[in-house]
Amino acid sequence: MGTPEAQATLRRLAVARRVIYVLVAVAVLVPFVYPLPFRFRPSPWSEKVFKKVEALKPGSPILFSFDFDPSAMAELYPMSLALLRHCLQRDLHPIVMTHWQSGVGITKQIIEEAAKERGKQSGKDYVFLGFRAGGSNLVLNMGESLQGAFAKDFFKQPTEGMPALEGVRSLKDIPLVIDIAAGTAIEMWIAYGRDRFGFDLGAGCTAVIAPDLYPFLQSGQLVGVLGGLRGAADYEMLMKRPGSATKGMQAQSLTHVLIILLIVGANVHYLSRRLKGSTKG
Amino acid sequence: MWYKLTLPLVICFGVGVLAFVQEFVPHPWSAAFREEMTTWFRIMGGFGLFIGAYSLLHLHVTRIRRQQAGWGYSAFVFLGAALTIGAGVFEEVRAAVADVPAGAFSLFDWLYNYVQVPCQATIFSILAFFMASAAFRAFRARNVEAALLLAAALVVMFGRVPISEEVGRCLGSWDLFPKAADVLMEYPNMAAKRGIMLGISLGAISQSLRVLFGIERSYLGGGG
Repeated sequence: MGTPEAQATLRRLAVARRVIYVLVAVAVLVPFVYPLPFRFRPSPWSEKVFKKVEALKPGSPILFSFDFDPSAMAELYPMSLALLRHCLQRDLHPIVMTHWQSGVGITKQIIEEAAKERGKQSGKDYVFLGFRAGGSNLVLNMGESLQGAFAKDFFKQPTEGMPALEGVRSLKDIPLVIDIAAGTAIEMWIAYGRDRFGFDLGAGCTAVIAPDLYPFLQSGQLVGVLGGLRGAADYEMLMKRPGSATKGMQAQSLTHVLIILLIVGANVHYLSRRLKGSTKG
Repeated sequence: MWYKLTLPLVICFGVGVLAFVQEFVPHPWSAAFREEMTTWFRIMGGFGLFIGAYSLLHLHVTRIRRQQAGWGYSAFVFLGAALTIGAGVFEEVRAAVADVPAGAFSLFDWLYNYVQVPCQATIFSILAFFMASAAFRAFRARNVEAALLLAAALVVMFGRVPISEEVGRCLGSWDLFPKAADVLMEYPNMAAKRGIMLGISLGAISQSLRVLFGIERSYLGGGG
C-alpha cells in the first residue's frame, strides 16, 4: 500500500491531525475558563439592521422568518434572541414563522424565552405562525393574504381578528421583514417577497452564507446583514446586553488565530522544502 | 403513450405559459389565478413531505433486507421515526381527550430538545476541527493565484474577529484589519459573486425554457 515514504507521510499527517484537534479544543475552551475581554465595534451592516428596527414605531408589525434548525443554532440562536428582545423591548409586534420543519421547536424556544422576559402574550403582543410547506409559494400567498396563508397560528388560534395582527392583511402591510437563515431562504425572500411587495428586508445568516449577500447589500435589496456569530455579537453590543455570542467571539478569535498560525506554519514549511528542491511544485 | 408523454407536456406548457403571462397582466383574474396556483403548489409541497418520508424509509428497508454494510444504522432510522411519530400521535390524542394548555411542554418537545438539538448541534460543531485540519493540510501557496487566495483568506479570517481590533489599536488604527477585510468582501468578493449569480440565473432561465418547450423531459421519468 504505497512506498515507505508515502506511508510515513500519512502517519505524520494522522499525528498532525490529532494535535490540531487538541489545539482547537484548547483554543475553544480557554476563553470559557480565562475570559479574554476583547473590545470590538459593531460592523456597519449590523448597525443598519439595528437602526431599521429602532426606527419602527411602537405597535408596528415586524415579520421574522427563522429558517434554520439546530445545526446552525450556535450562530443563529443568539442572533434571533437579540433581535426579538429588541423588538419586544420596543413594544413592536413580532410575527414569527419558519420555512424549516425541523426549525419549529427552536423557533418556539427563542420566542418563548424572549416573551417570558417581558411578560408578553402570544396573540396579543406577538404571533408565532409556525411552519407551512411551500417555500416561495408560501411567500407569494402571504403577499396576497397573510390570514389566507396561515388561518391559524402555531397554538391553533385563528389569526383572523388576532390583536397582534391588527392592520396586517398581507406582506404589503409589514414595513420590515428579517430573515434569519442557514440556507438560501434570504434570496427567496428577496425575489418573491421584497421585490414584489415592497417591504424592507434585513438578513441574518451563518458566516458561510454572508459573502453571497454582498451583491444584494450594494443594490439596496437588503437593508443590512448580521453575518454569523460576529453579527450576533454586534447586535448584542448594540443592545448593550452582551450574551452568548459576545462570549463566543473570544473563542472564535483564538480559533481563527490558531488556524492562521497553522496555515502560515504549513506554508513556511512547504516553501522551505520547495526551495531546497525536496518537493515538486 | 399519449397520456404518458403528450398530456404531461401539454399541461407543463399550458401552466408554464399561464404562470409566465399572469406576471404581466394587472387584472384581478390574474391575481386570483396566481393565488389559486400558489395554494396548489403548497398542497403539493405537503404531499412532497410524505413522499420524502416514504422514500427515506423505503431506502432503509432495502438496506436492512439486503443486510448491507451498516444496516444497523438503518434500523436506528426506524427506531427514531417510530419514537417521534409515536410521541406526536400520543400528544395529539392527549390534547384531544385531556385539557392540555396550548403550547405546553410535550413528549415531542422533549425528544426535539434533548435528542435532535444536541445531535445536530454536535455534528455541526465538529466541523471546526475538520476545517482547521483541512486548512493546515491543503491550503498551500503553490502558485501566484493560490498565494493571492491564501493572503485574502488570512486577512478576512483575521479581520472578522475582535482580536484584530486589539492588534490594530497597538498599531495605531483599530479598524486597520476590519477595513481590509471589508474591502476584500465588498469589491473582489462581490464582483465574483455577482458574476456567478448572473451565470446561475441565465442557466436557470435556459433550463426553464427547455422544460417549457418539452426539450428537457427527464422529469417525466425513463431518462427521456
